[in-house]
Amino acid sequence: MTIRNTLRDYGQRYRPRMACLKKAEKVLLEMQDPKTGVKSQPQRLVITTIPHAITGEDIIAWLADRFQIDTQEARKFGSMLVALGYIYPLQDHKRLVVKPDASLYRFQTPYFWPTQQWPVEDTDYAIYLAKRNIRKKGILELHEQEQYNRLHKWMNHKWDFIVMQAKEQYRAAKERKKPDRVVFDCQERAYWVVHRPPPGTVSAMDYGLDRRVDPNADEAKTHDFYERIMIFTQQSIMRPRVKSSVSIGALVKYCATYNSHDPFLSKCLPSNPWLTDDVTYWTLNMPNVEIPTKMRVERWTFSFGELLSDPRGRDDFRLFLKKEFSGENLAFWESCEDLKWGTAATMREKAEQIYKTFLARGAPRWINIDGKTMEITVNGLKHPHRYVLDAAQTHIYMLMKKDSYGRYLKSPVFKDTLKKAICPEEHKFTDAQLDQNAKNRRPSLSPIILRQQEQEQRAKMAASATVDITQLCRFTTPVPHLAVYSGITDYPSANASPSLPFLTHTPACPSPISVALDSTSASERRAETSEGEGEGNPQTRAPIGGNVSKPRMAFSLRRLLKRGCTPSTMFASLSPKCPSAAGTSSRIQPISPDQPTQAPPRRIGNFFQIKVDIPPECRIYPIESEDEEEENRAASRSGVGAKEIICPWESLTPQNGMG
Amino acid sequence: MNRWRRSVDELAARRRQQRKCERAQEALSRVTSCFQQLATSLGSSADSGFLRDEMDKTRALAHRLCSGVGNRQVLERLWVLFLSVTENFLSDLRKTSDLIGQFPLTQHGRPSLVKTGCIDGMVGVAARVTSVQVPWLTLEEEPSPDLTNHITGLEAMLSEMQLRVPVAFWSVESTQPAWAEAHGEQTEPEHSLEELMEVEVVSNKMAACCQPPCCSCMG
Repeated sequence: MTIRNTLRDYGQRYRPRMACLKKAEKVLLEMQDPKTGVKSQPQRLVITTIPHAITGEDIIAWLADRFQIDTQEARKFGSMLVALGYIYPLQDHKRLVVKPDASLYRFQTPYFWPTQQWPVEDTDYAIYLAKRNIRKKGILELHEQEQYNRLHKWMNHKWDFIVMQAKEQYRAAKERKKPDRVVFDCQERAYWVVHRPPPGTVSAMDYGLDRRVDPNADEAKTHDFYERIMIFTQQSIMRPRVKSSVSIGALVKYCATYNSHDPFLSKCLPSNPWLTDDVTYWTLNMPNVEIPTKMRVERWTFSFGELLSDPRGRDDFRLFLKKEFSGENLAFWESCEDLKWGTAATMREKAEQIYKTFLARGAPRWINIDGKTMEITVNGLKHPHRYVLDAAQTHIYMLMKKDSYGRYLKSPVFKDTLKKAICPEEHKFTDAQLDQNAKNRRPSLSPIILRQQEQEQRAKMAASATVDITQLCRFTTPVPHLAVYSGITDYPSANASPSLPFLTHTPACPSPISVALDSTSASERRAETSEGEGEGNPQTRAPIGGNVSKPRMAFSLRRLLKRGCTPSTMFASLSPKCPSAAGTSSRIQPISPDQPTQAPPRRIGNFFQIKVDIPPECRIYPIESEDEEEENRAASRSGVGAKEIICPWESLTPQNGMG
Repeated sequence: MNRWRRSVDELAARRRQQRKCERAQEALSRVTSCFQQLATSLGSSADSGFLRDEMDKTRALAHRLCSGVGNRQVLERLWVLFLSVTENFLSDLRKTSDLIGQFPLTQHGRPSLVKTGCIDGMVGVAARVTSVQVPWLTLEEEPSPDLTNHITGLEAMLSEMQLRVPVAFWSVESTQPAWAEAHGEQTEPEHSLEELMEVEVVSNKMAACCQPPCCSCMG
């Protein structure tokens, strides 16, 4: 029962047009012809005989003759008629297929034919289930029981009507003669097998989303209608044109490349789940599977877009970039995607973070984009919106595509993945096994659970991955995972967006490192002089609330730092997977304020970053050099504030030539 | 004293009205269910002029039942039930009009009908319809409208009823618990469809494999 508001109704409730229905009806009527139609025979039952039964082989023969097609196609066509509900099987009524033998079928009465206009109502189904309940004294099949309970809950307000109507229909049906009663029961049961299929049945009545416009209604030729047509035509004329040789060439190339990967055109290994009801194919191709299939790895070689859009491929690429110490490009690209697709509330923060991390002069993970794009981007960031980083993102995308992608395909990482990729064997199911598979079909996990699992997986992966020490500073420290590093067992809640594990300044979860670092001697000194780094400051003063273990963490870090231990060794000792890292970093000397300043602060950075191109004015700030620099500056120049990264739209007096 | 008597009379009158409406409700249920039975034969081999006539008569009866309601005061539950019945009937009517349009009997008649296996003339169902009594006297015997007008009239009545009377249908609860009807009907033991569909054990060829599990595995 709905109140319809036809004036401002933007609901989507119309079923999309199923053009096959009208055509199937025509075929059905042709089959009725006593001379040229399908031969019918009586069905002999214990109590009576019922006329008009047809055999499967007769149906197939008639279709093959009428449409001049071969037997296999006629069989598929017949099965489609059964799946739509125009013909129903008398034996094995739950399998809506046409068997090419003497199994019997009957035509469905037009009242129970599928219609375009009228969707099948739950009310009717409830009445049917109630009737069945009366008849079978409460013994319904499992899926029917579930549906019954669901409908009883949701249609409680009309349940009395449903029961009353069910009783009346039951009694009305009893007034008919016995053979007709049997026929009617068969018809009704077949109708509901099609429209409320039991698990393991494939009906053809699945369709996609509902439409907003009624496909059966004639569109009124109003002023708006013609205006729409005119706009559409104008836009079509304005579209850029390409020579057909070029476009056809592209199509041919696409078809040739993807032909063997298309499950409609070629075999799907091990088997197509839609055909055999076996889900191995989906399990093997999960987004974050350890070992991908060979076909999947081959797809990554088709284009850079394919590599990036496959999560497993992107992981592989990320690994390669990490080995090359140029992970910031991919990280930037991912942050831009996150900005584009994220919630509007967090956009401003995200844009600021991205600027500070990647774009500003002196940013820790500075990306290399040309001056013009940088200018456009920085100007746009004054009023950040979802697409403000598009130009920069495209630039970086093309950079990765032209440069890193080629090297990736020749790299040992990729070759290793390719070698390890599996090629599953094809399934060969017998008919009995196919039936078994169909019976064992179960719905997959709910998307909510999948998302939770994905987040857990990501957290685990980030925790166990080696920290990119060269890129480390307060802006890149992974936040919740540090709790894992130090062995604290409380579980981090992933409130930061998963693709930016290094963001520290989410107000809800202050980084223990940043808090700890902020409370080191250097920053205590600086804390008085600095105004703000956007949103970071309130945290440094704020007590470390909530998590009891964090102060413990902060103290231990402070102690370590006071002892002059470099962050690299600190992280190395904390990370469970790097037992020997402490050894490798033995060459790093702790920097004390007394050391001569001729040694360039980039010294340590250089040691690890051999291949990365760092422009001279940009510094990667490992933490100790920051401290050192502060002290140097404080010593050499007086009165000048700390060098910080200030977003151009925030500062009144632009420092460092930005803004 | 007078006021008391007046209120008692009012209560009695209301209760009488309520009972009348309940009876009308039951009658309408019966009529619509019979109508549905008849409608399932449309276009099939059991279709005939007789069937169409019976359907018209049933429809007329339903119309009389519906038009008697008008602007009476009814209780919420009955209201909701009545709306449900009317909606259900309306959907049957729409389907019927489609089918009648698709299978006109006047043209070459038989060949275009679908062979469904039904041959009954639906006499029993028609008899059931005529047994229904309209609980209120119609003041004027207006002729029952033809199918399309009936549909549009019913649609208008439904929307008017829904708009005018602000009944929150979700606040109505059913009086029966779930699965109650399964234990209600104490009629003679009804054969299940599976038993009815048992294939007759035919002679010589099947004699060898004439065991029950082989033959009667229907449905």
